[in-house]
Amino acid sequence: MSSLTPNITGRAYWRSLEEYADSPQFRELLGYPGGGAIDEATLSVSRRRFLQLMGASMALAGLTLGGCRRWEETKLAPFAQRPEGRVPGQPEYFASMTERGGSALGVLVESFDGRPIKIEGNPKHPYSQGATDAWAQAETLNLYDPDRSRFPVRGRGEARQRTTWEELVAFMQQRVGERQGADSSRLAVLTRRSDSPTRARLAARFRERHPEAGWYEWEPINRDNELAGTRQAFGRAMRPAYRLDRAAVIACFDADPLLMHPAAVRHARDWAATRKQADSEMQMSRLYAAEPTFSVTGSVADERLAVRVSEVPALVRAVAARLGVIDGDGAGGGGDLNGSTQWVEKLVDDLHRHEGEAVLVVGESQPAEVHALAWAINAHLGALGATVELFEEPGDPQQGQGEQIAELARRIEAGEIDTLLVLGGNPAYDAPAELDFEAKLNQVDEVIHLGLYADETARTATWHAPAAHELEAWGDGRAWDGTVGVQQPLILPLFDGKSPIEMLALALGDEAGEAQGYELVRATFREDVLAGDDFERAWRRVLHRGLVPDSAFEPVNDASADAPANVPERLDAADGEFEVVIRPDTSMLDGRWANNGWLQELPGPITKLTWDNVARISVTDARRLGLSQGDVVRVSVGGREVELPVFPTPGQVAGSVVVSLGYGRRAAGRIGDGVGVDTYRLRTVEAPHVAAASVEPAGRRERLATTQNHHLIDPTGEWGVTKRTGERGGSGYIIKEMSLASYRQDPHQARRTANGDLPLQLYDPPYPAGTPAFEAKRPGGPVAFNEPHAWGMSVDMNACIGCNACVVACQAENNVPVVGKEEVLVSRELHWLRIDRYFKGDPEAETDVVHQPMMCVHCENAPCEQVCPVNAAIHDTEGLNLQVYNRCVGTRYCSNNCPYKVRRFNYFDYHAKDPRGHWRPWLNIPDTQTRAEVDRIKAMANNPDVTVRMRGVMEKCTYCMQRLSRAKVAAKNDWSRGQRDEPLVADGEVVTACQQACPTQAITFGDLNKADAVVSQEHENPRAYQVLNDDLNTRPRTRHLAKLRNPAV
Amino acid sequence: MASDKQASRFVFPRWANYLLPLLVLGAVGGGLYVPVVIGFGLSADTLWRGYAPAQPVPFSHALHAGELGMDCRYCHTTVEDASFAAIPDTQLCISCHSPEEGVAGIAKDSPLLRPVHESYETGRPVEWVKVHDQADFVYFDHSAHVNRGVSCVECHGRVDRMERVYMAENMSMAWCLDCHQQPEMHLRPLEEVTNLAWDPRDHLEAQGVETEGMTRDQAQRQIGLELKEKYNIHSRTYMMSCSTCHR
Repeated sequence: MSSLTPNITGRAYWRSLEEYADSPQFRELLGYPGGGAIDEATLSVSRRRFLQLMGASMALAGLTLGGCRRWEETKLAPFAQRPEGRVPGQPEYFASMTERGGSALGVLVESFDGRPIKIEGNPKHPYSQGATDAWAQAETLNLYDPDRSRFPVRGRGEARQRTTWEELVAFMQQRVGERQGADSSRLAVLTRRSDSPTRARLAARFRERHPEAGWYEWEPINRDNELAGTRQAFGRAMRPAYRLDRAAVIACFDADPLLMHPAAVRHARDWAATRKQADSEMQMSRLYAAEPTFSVTGSVADERLAVRVSEVPALVRAVAARLGVIDGDGAGGGGDLNGSTQWVEKLVDDLHRHEGEAVLVVGESQPAEVHALAWAINAHLGALGATVELFEEPGDPQQGQGEQIAELARRIEAGEIDTLLVLGGNPAYDAPAELDFEAKLNQVDEVIHLGLYADETARTATWHAPAAHELEAWGDGRAWDGTVGVQQPLILPLFDGKSPIEMLALALGDEAGEAQGYELVRATFREDVLAGDDFERAWRRVLHRGLVPDSAFEPVNDASADAPANVPERLDAADGEFEVVIRPDTSMLDGRWANNGWLQELPGPITKLTWDNVARISVTDARRLGLSQGDVVRVSVGGREVELPVFPTPGQVAGSVVVSLGYGRRAAGRIGDGVGVDTYRLRTVEAPHVAAASVEPAGRRERLATTQNHHLIDPTGEWGVTKRTGERGGSGYIIKEMSLASYRQDPHQARRTANGDLPLQLYDPPYPAGTPAFEAKRPGGPVAFNEPHAWGMSVDMNACIGCNACVVACQAENNVPVVGKEEVLVSRELHWLRIDRYFKGDPEAETDVVHQPMMCVHCENAPCEQVCPVNAAIHDTEGLNLQVYNRCVGTRYCSNNCPYKVRRFNYFDYHAKDPRGHWRPWLNIPDTQTRAEVDRIKAMANNPDVTVRMRGVMEKCTYCMQRLSRAKVAAKNDWSRGQRDEPLVADGEVVTACQQACPTQAITFGDLNKADAVVSQEHENPRAYQVLNDDLNTRPRTRHLAKLRNPAV
Repeated sequence: MASDKQASRFVFPRWANYLLPLLVLGAVGGGLYVPVVIGFGLSADTLWRGYAPAQPVPFSHALHAGELGMDCRYCHTTVEDASFAAIPDTQLCISCHSPEEGVAGIAKDSPLLRPVHESYETGRPVEWVKVHDQADFVYFDHSAHVNRGVSCVECHGRVDRMERVYMAENMSMAWCLDCHQQPEMHLRPLEEVTNLAWDPRDHLEAQGVETEGMTRDQAQRQIGLELKEKYNIHSRTYMMSCSTCHR
């Protein structure tokens, strides 16, 4: 970033450091309409080659035309006996759950002709309330992953060979089930964390049978520090359920409760509720965040402090001292850190004023003492039972998971284990580095591994068994608040897999019939969960709902917390030149989704980076070390080192390097292998989150596929870009934001433009010649394209946290393919919905972030329609801006003319193609795999209600018109049978995929003809504005609601 | 001489001159022939209409729907509720054609029914061949049509007279749009939707309207315009919107 200071563009909002600094690299990008440097390989199809290919394809056409009567004969296979209520071609929804890190999320799974294709949140779930996250949305792709393990395998390394379930089960029963007494001390089970009642029941049976055997749980993203902290504070392990909806002041100390937390979706919903009070009560919560680099929570904080993780304890101590929770003046030994004195002062002031309405949240990176101190502060503030409810941690684990895996490693080293049953998880990859767990596993005589993939751990195991996916197996679990959920299969196991509970039951010697997941779960419910009820009846009700009502934990509200005596001033990691902060990744989490293309290609909330992990460093450090984006550095921690590219990040504190986990997989599958760098190698039992490190340039570069600079407008249009993004001091037309105070004074300011209504607008009003005149169906309603509905959307930027759930939901719903890193590098990603992340301010001091979800806004005056030579971009009567795939000839004029840059072009047939990049089987064309070569399993994930697009056509957001069509037809059918008063879709009957997934309910959708529709009310909101409309008169049907900030005065 | 002889190798023989008119004729003829073959040979009518694949069971609609007068919805049960008019499951066939001992199954020993009985015994489906197959980007919805007074016969023809089902219409987009532009010419009262023999003139007569000298189209228009209002059939622009059928 040597060129950072000169040539600053002066734009108020900027998308990247390159744009901010107006660097030469950025100038170069501007030259390409796609906005990416196009590599030679992609461009270089020579004329000669082209003619060869043309000739070949003509010959092929000739061959096929001759025999063409109609396309292939299709068979119809009706059921021999159709299940009652099953209507072919109509989707059905089943309530189920998905478990992650021991916490269950209630979901509804859409099944189409017996094939689960989409996961939605369960709106009736008392805890998650219908919200989901990107990971839950991506589960369907995992289900249909052709790389999943397909059969049991026996043997290590070279000796690996296919075996059968019968042999495996026989071996397991002999080795595990039939052991007796002291002999079983050489037996151990290693599992993931789970609160499943059935698993708990089977685990109890296992302990009873083998009291000497070891039972270890390992979850790389665990809550060891939090649990230890609550144990210090309350004398027992507690689980906090934050009630952010009751909080007026939320202070996060390196915590990310809105994304990186098992209960994040609920937190996000509750937090958003406090933001929406701005409209009803002119009130809003205030979010404080102290963190090294932008997390999702930090990116929406009102008062953010960039501070090193190892200095965070000083902040908590300062707050505690000011509040009188501990002695001292709170100034601490560290002095003022980056403006921390003022930040603490503001926070303490707010906490004083909002006792009982405030809560402190401390992140997992902080040691137990800091957690305990925060609990003492929370207790002092009257937060317990008000803004945070405490549950007793189920199972009350006496040992942290780090300690557990360390103990297992020690026992293996000592030769005390001869049989290890690994039920899920991938410890060979994600165990702490110094344990060298992969080698440890190789020392064990027999390792029996159950997993979805033949992954790193499977390679070290003597037996590997394919696991059944959550959508294929019976199971149960508990949500964060304890609500018991049932996981029901939507499809028989595709690859003959078994679930962990089935495996455990088999290991215990159950007959195959008893060890069916269905029987196991039912037994648990009969004996325990639903004991006493009329079982069959209660069971059916539970299945229908997917959960057991009123089964949440009892809150413990009489807890009292004492301030610990020994809270450190700073962490040891502060002593190094740098501190390295190791975080779960916003896409990969701990790496279990490495083979999921949707998540690999998901732009990170802050970096907008796909297909890679990076070392995020501060702009100051980057300048000092002479590094720019993509320069590889060597990060060393206590003799262990990794090399990974840097990503200078605005708003990051100097002296901190943030790396994310989950990449660098060696045996993930064809998608995930070798993507990014394995940072688990830096992670130890003692320092799993932060450690002192040194950073030095490695002298090479890597290309990073970040989408932040995509869709640039060339220099000719640059003056317009500057005008629209706003010069420093001005606000432009794209982003509108204001402080709560100024909103109170003048609520309607977002509607006014920076320079008043422009007299000259680019496009005329939307009445093409020959169109019948429309009238507004309600005062203030749309006057065009409103027959019989007028679809519209609103996006509340004040609620959006940039969590990406909508992006994956859209991809899953609309058959949006994955394109691969090479293609993302040249701006060819196909996401219909993107979240634009703008920075504002000084990248080396205070930086603000705005998230703006952007998809086709369905302009009534659509610029794309004006330039399409074949009428492929065209409106329908309800305001949808359509893209007719069969008309499209691929001129890409529409994309060029779209001011929102939301149109996506299929450069290749990405559905047929292996998405990793240059996979060129025939004549070196990237997507010419024949249909037979593409695994048919892949196609099963597609939504049959949405056309699968071929190469050469443009596509974009359709407002989920397949859902509109279904709702419209259903409404009209009901009406014609006299079951409905009008043949129109009622408000709330159509929920778009993005809207459904959104944890903060930032997106609303509906009929603008109805005054009482939620979306109409949102459009009437004084914060609602139409992006770019001031300038272009495009009349978008999607309105964005201006962002509010609530800084302390 | 040697050189002349060598040179003559590169000169066409005299008779080759007669080939020229043939070539011209071929070029002109081919110029006409190719477009005609493509134009007619690849037209929807040629490719689609009359397509009548053999089915695993020679099920006769003429017998069941025609002679026996069974309603279409007896077997295609989901047509009013779903986009897809379900092919009946084996169980439905068995309700009349049971192979069980002691049950009065019709034609229970017929070898033609073997695939159905096999399916009943094994639980594996009878694999029927799809006759009417829309392109994947067309999202036709049966329920939207039959609940709005569009009869089965409009698209499927007189199935009650077909021994083996064939495509009665070409099902091209132009053919779809004919109806979407002029829905009144294809509407009938809801209760007559599955009456394939329905005639608008009879309907008017039953209402006491004099139909003497009225053509079928005139009668249809008269009924259709009324029903179009009644069934809330949309404006022509709505019906012609791409999003009505494509997604």
